[in-house]
Amino acid sequence: MNKEIIKNKKRGLGFYFRIYCKIIAQDLKSKMSYRADFIISTFGMLLTNIVGFMSFYILFKNFPSINGWNYHEMLFLYGFSLIALTPLQCLFDNNWNLRMQVESGDFIKYCFRPINIFFYFISEVFDVKGLGQLVFGTGVLVYAWTCLGIPVNIRIIIQLILLLITASLFMIAIMNVAAATCFWIVRSGYVMIVMFRFKDYARYPVSIFDGIFKIIFTFVIPIAFIAYYPGIVILRPNEIPLLSKLSPLFGILFFWLSYRFWMLGAEKYDGTGS
Amino acid sequence: MNEEKAIIMKNIGKDFKVLNRHEGLKGSIKDLFSRDYNIVTAVNDISLEIPKGQIVGYLGPNGAGKSTTIKMMTGVLEPTRGEILVNGCVPYKNRAKNAENIGVVFGQRSQLWWSLPLIESFRLLKEIYLIEDDEYEEMISLYKSLVNLEPLLHKTVRQMSLGQRTLSDILAAFLHNPKVVFLDEPTIGLDVSMKAKIRDLIRELNKRKKTTVILTTHDMGDVDALCERIVIIDHGRMIYDNDIDHLKSYFGSYRTLKLRLPGDKWVEELIDESKTDAMSVISEYQKKSKILDIKLEEISTEEVIKKIYMGETVKNEKISGIDNSRDDKDLAI
Amino acid sequence: MKKYLALTIAGMTRTLQFRLGILVTVLGNLIYMTLVYYLWKAIYASSPSQIVNGMTFTDTIIYLVLATALFNFLDMYIVWELSRNIQSGAICLDLLKPVNYRVYMFFSFFGDNVMSFFLTFLPTFVVVYFVADGKIDLGLNLIMFAISVAFALLLNFSVEMLVATICLYTESTWGINIVKESIVLLFSGATIPLVFFPEGLRTVIGYLPFRCIYDTPLNILLEKPGYTLDSGIWSMIALQAVWCIILSLAGRAFWNFSVRRITVNGG
Repeated sequence: MNKEIIKNKKRGLGFYFRIYCKIIAQDLKSKMSYRADFIISTFGMLLTNIVGFMSFYILFKNFPSINGWNYHEMLFLYGFSLIALTPLQCLFDNNWNLRMQVESGDFIKYCFRPINIFFYFISEVFDVKGLGQLVFGTGVLVYAWTCLGIPVNIRIIIQLILLLITASLFMIAIMNVAAATCFWIVRSGYVMIVMFRFKDYARYPVSIFDGIFKIIFTFVIPIAFIAYYPGIVILRPNEIPLLSKLSPLFGILFFWLSYRFWMLGAEKYDGTGS
Repeated sequence: MNEEKAIIMKNIGKDFKVLNRHEGLKGSIKDLFSRDYNIVTAVNDISLEIPKGQIVGYLGPNGAGKSTTIKMMTGVLEPTRGEILVNGCVPYKNRAKNAENIGVVFGQRSQLWWSLPLIESFRLLKEIYLIEDDEYEEMISLYKSLVNLEPLLHKTVRQMSLGQRTLSDILAAFLHNPKVVFLDEPTIGLDVSMKAKIRDLIRELNKRKKTTVILTTHDMGDVDALCERIVIIDHGRMIYDNDIDHLKSYFGSYRTLKLRLPGDKWVEELIDESKTDAMSVISEYQKKSKILDIKLEEISTEEVIKKIYMGETVKNEKISGIDNSRDDKDLAI
Repeated sequence: MKKYLALTIAGMTRTLQFRLGILVTVLGNLIYMTLVYYLWKAIYASSPSQIVNGMTFTDTIIYLVLATALFNFLDMYIVWELSRNIQSGAICLDLLKPVNYRVYMFFSFFGDNVMSFFLTFLPTFVVVYFVADGKIDLGLNLIMFAISVAFALLLNFSVEMLVATICLYTESTWGINIVKESIVLLFSGATIPLVFFPEGLRTVIGYLPFRCIYDTPLNILLEKPGYTLDSGIWSMIALQAVWCIILSLAGRAFWNFSVRRITVNGG
C-alpha cells in the first residue's frame, strides 16, 4: 500500500514531461521510416500555405485596406496566426482522430492506464509537418515586421513570444472543444472542420463584427484572441485594449475549460461505440 | 476490507438509456424529433467474490453483459446499483489508481503503440507504470523463458500477425505485475497452435506471479485449459458460479450415447441422466432393431454451455427464474 | 437501378440517425456564413468603389455563401472513406460486390449529398434569396443552375475518386487530401470569386477543370455576362460535360489499373 502512494506522488509534471519526450522521440523515429508519407504531407502543408497566402494576396490586390488596416499590418496578423497555429498542429493533432476512435470503440484503450487520459491520447501523435507552417509563418511575419518598421528589442521579442503562446492556447482550446463534442454527438466531424476553417478568419480585425457577433467571436468562439487582440499589442502599442492585456489570463482559462470539457467526455465514455 | 479478495461485487447492476429507433427513412425522420428512450438493464444483481490468484472464466452469450461487467471492474463504467471493489478500491471513483493494479487485453484492439517496436512499447510502459529496473529486467527474462521473445521485440505492432499481436498485448498487460488481469477473448481468431501457446503463457504467468485472471471467451478450449472457476451470465444475470466438473452435474448429468445399428450406422442420443438412464434408451432401441456396438461419452464443456445458452436446461430454479422473452437486441455491448 | 436507389436511401437514413450531428452542422454553417458576411461587409466598406471587378457586395456575398453551401453539399469525403477502407481491408469485400465499385461509391455518398442538399444548401439558398432581396432571378437560370450543379456533382466526384485512388499506393491520406482540397478550393472560386484573380492566373484557371465545380454554376445563377441564355451558357455547360467525361474516364482507367496492380501484388 505504502509503495503505491509513493508511486502516485511521483507522477508530477516532471514525470509527464519525461514520458512525453520519450514518446515523441520514438514517434519521430518511426515516422522517419515512412518517408513517402512525410514528403507528401510536407508538400501538402506547403501547398495549403501557398494557396492560403495566394487568397490573401488576391484579396488585397482588389481591396487595399480593411477597416483601416493596411496590407502589411494584415500580413503581420496573417503570419502571427500561422505561427500560433503550430503548437496545435504539432502537438494536438491526434484530436482529429478522436472521433474515429470514439465511434469505433478503440478509444477505450486510453482508459486502462494509470495516467491522465488527455495526456495519453494527445501524446500519441507528434505531427512534424506542422513545422512547415512555422517556417512559412515566421517568414511572413518577419517580412511584415520589416516593412512596417517595427523596432526590434528584447522587450518586444519577449512580448511577442508571450502573445504567441497566448494565441496558441486559444487555438488549442477551440479545437479541444470541437474534438470533444464527439463524446456526445455522433457524426460530429463537421464541427472540427468548420471550427478549423474559422481560424482563417481569425486574422482579420475583430472590429469588422458588430453587436452580438462581436461578443460571440470574442468570448464564445474566441477567434478574436488568435491574432487580433495579441497582435494589436505590437501593431498599435499606443492603443492597447484591456482585452489584449487580459488575453494571457483568458487563454489559460479557455484552455483549462476546454481540457475539463474534454475530460468530462472521456470520463463518461463507456466504450460502446456507436 | 478483505485482503484475500481481488474483486468483490455486491448486487451490481447497470442500466443503459437506448433511443427507440424506428425503421426506414420515414422512421428516421420521426426519430429526429422523438424523445422515446428505453431503459435497458445490461447487468442486474451480480454478486461475486474472487480470491487472489484465481483464474475465472467469465462466460455468457453475446450481449449477455460480460463486457459491461468487465468495464465496471476496470473503472470505465460506473455501476447504476451495487458496490464494487477491485484490490480494495472502488474502480470508477479512482480510475487511474485502479489502473495501476490491473492489466487489460481487449480482444483484437491492441493497446500498444502501433508504430513502435515492441521493446520500445515495453520501455514506455516501464516509465508509465514506474516499474523499477530490477523488476522490469526480471519480468523480461521471465518472458524470454516462456516465449520466443527475440523475434518480436524489434517488430512494430503494425507488422505483427494477429497471434503475435495478441501475445505482445498479453505480455504488456502483465508487465507491471498487476494484481488482476482482464483478458477479453484473448484467443479469438487464432490458429490452434497459437491458442495453445497463449493458454500456456497465461497459465504460467498466473502461477508464477499469482495474478488473478478474469477471462471472457467463447472458446471452451480456453475454459478447459485454464479456468478453475466458471461464472456464467445471461441476460445480465448470473446463472452459474462454480467449477467445470460441477457444471456438468449442475445443469443435468448429460452423456452422449452412441449406438451402432445394422448397416454400419451410428446413432447419437444425448441423455439427461436426471430424467432417464442410458439403459432404458438402449432397450428402446433394442425393441426396434439389433444393436451392434455401444459407446457412452461424457458431454464436453462446449455442449453444456451451448445447452445453457439455448436455455434448454431447466433443472435449476435460478435458470427458470430468468425471463428469456426480454428483448435486448439493441444493446451494443 | 433499384439497388442504387436503395444505396441512396440508406445513405439518407444514416445521416438522419444522428440528429445532434445535423443540428451542429446547420449551426456551424450559419456561423461560418456570418463570418463571411462580416468580413466582406468590412472589405467593401473600406473600398473606395461600390463595384469591384463587376461584383457588388451583394453579388460577392451571394457568390461566396452559395459557394460554401455548394461546397458542403458536394463534399464527399471519399478520400478519407476509401483510405480507411483500404487500411482496414474492408475494400476487399466491397470489390467483391456485384456492382461497379466506382458506381457503388457514388451512390453510397449520393444519399449524403441529397441530405445535405436539404439540410444545408436549400436553407442557405432561401436565406440568401431573401437577404439579397430580388438580386437572384427565379427563372430559367434556376433550371440551368440545377443542371450545372448536377454536372458539378459528377465532376467533384470524379476529382475525389481520382485523388482517392492514390490512396491505394500510399497511406498518406492527410497529405493527399490537403493537396486536393487546397487546389480545388482556390481554383474553383470557393474562397474568393474568380473574377478577383489577376489576369494571368485567371487564364491558367480557365484551362483547369476546377472552376466548373463552383464558379460555373454560381455565375449561371447570378446571370453574369458569358453565363446567360443569350450568350455563352451552353458552351459553359458543354465545357462542364467535357471535363466530366474526361475526368471520369481518366479516373476509371486509373482506378482499374491500380486495382489490378494492387491485387496482383497481393496488397
